[in-house]
Amino acid sequence: MSFKVLVFPGFGFLFCLAMLAEWIDRRMIARFQGRVGPPVFQPLADFIKLLGKEDLLPTGVNEKLMAALPLISLAACLTAGMYIPVAGVSVNNFEGDLIVVLFLLSLPSLLYFLAGWSSIGIYSILGGNRALLQFFSYEVPFLLALSGPAILNSSWNITDIMVNQSTSIWAIFVLPVGFMLAFFGLIGKLKRDPLDIPKAQSEIVAGPLTEFSGRKLAIWHLANQIQTVVGIFLLVDTYFGGGVIESRLATFLLFSFLALLILVSLSVMSAMYARLRIDQLARLGWKRLIPLSLLQIAFIVWMGKGF
Amino acid sequence: MTSTLIQKVFRWARRKSLWVLHYNSGGCNGCDIEFLDLLTPRYDVERLGIRQESVPRHADILLCTGPVTRQSRDRVLQIFTQIPEPKWVVVVGSCGCSGGVFQGSDYVLGGVDQVIPVDLYIPGCPCRPEIIIEGLIKLLEKIE
Ligand code: SF4
Repeated sequence: MSFKVLVFPGFGFLFCLAMLAEWIDRRMIARFQGRVGPPVFQPLADFIKLLGKEDLLPTGVNEKLMAALPLISLAACLTAGMYIPVAGVSVNNFEGDLIVVLFLLSLPSLLYFLAGWSSIGIYSILGGNRALLQFFSYEVPFLLALSGPAILNSSWNITDIMVNQSTSIWAIFVLPVGFMLAFFGLIGKLKRDPLDIPKAQSEIVAGPLTEFSGRKLAIWHLANQIQTVVGIFLLVDTYFGGGVIESRLATFLLFSFLALLILVSLSVMSAMYARLRIDQLARLGWKRLIPLSLLQIAFIVWMGKGF
Repeated sequence: MTSTLIQKVFRWARRKSLWVLHYNSGGCNGCDIEFLDLLTPRYDVERLGIRQESVPRHADILLCTGPVTRQSRDRVLQIFTQIPEPKWVVVVGSCGCSGGVFQGSDYVLGGVDQVIPVDLYIPGCPCRPEIIIEGLIKLLEKIE
């Protein structure tokens, strides 16, 4: 059990992947901008340096809460990682774990809002409010988009969804729109560039994380990176059937390729698009994306009747 | 034994990852433009792990440009105390080092070292980006 928690697929494995993913992401963005980008150990150096820094907090905040928030966020992301099959290997699974994983992945956004609210600073509170508004705009389409493959394969177990698709057809070919919605939702969830409204650097400095420093900031960054990895794996498992084919090696290669593809697409989106305004995002979310995702569900149900 | 190893790891990390907070304490904006050049494709200091941050609490280095005016004195002090230890102060530009062309003015206190301790002076009016990079690398070697 402790091996599962500490090494695979728990902390050690996800930590290494998170560092690697951050490096690939930063390097890709730098390349797209015509720069060279950071060396491979950069995320690790940043993390260790932050661990060794002084831990300052503004006067008047609830210190226990401020210390607990990043830890809960990290724990939620790590727990979600326990239920995600990696390269066809599923360590834990039960019926309904898709719902649990989706809940655990949405927890950091709420904690992010709380972090802003409890750190008593004008920028943090503004950022927290924006985080909550953004949460309502992307979360609903994300949930509906990920329930598409679940209904299609009539199971709420990620492993079952994955295995089912390897014998029939990948969900992305049936539901390309659903994949787009899920991808968009993932960008919003990770607060990456076109949707980095809650932490918009040029408007509200660093949003809810403005008052965090040292160890707490390191854990926030780590939680966000692990969330990136888990989110990408979730998309690969539900929409690409986890890349499962006969041989172990081929599955591993295909899975890595697909995960890398999604990661690079995320970087492309960050490098290409400017930030949306919060009202633009809310309008886009509620007027376009949610009706679209509902239409998709109707389409699946209609298709199920047709067969 | 283990403690020296841990110290070594931390020293390595500190040398490889510097987050810079940039503050104009009263200069003419010339040095600020030169500093921003560091982030462009031509110089790209992200190679060296240097990154611009916008919050004092996340930063390691306070990079000041320009002399300290009476107006900005309190702000420099406040920003400096908000940066968590270990921290360093770098002054860019002649007038940040000594007051430069603004020396003797009624509204200027002088160089940045009149208000906070400075670790590195980079003179020039304005200094070229190459010199700023060289200065930052000198600072990296000093870090323990
Ligand atoms: S050193 Fe020269 S260029 Fe730099 S802020 Fe002072 S006057 Fe402007």
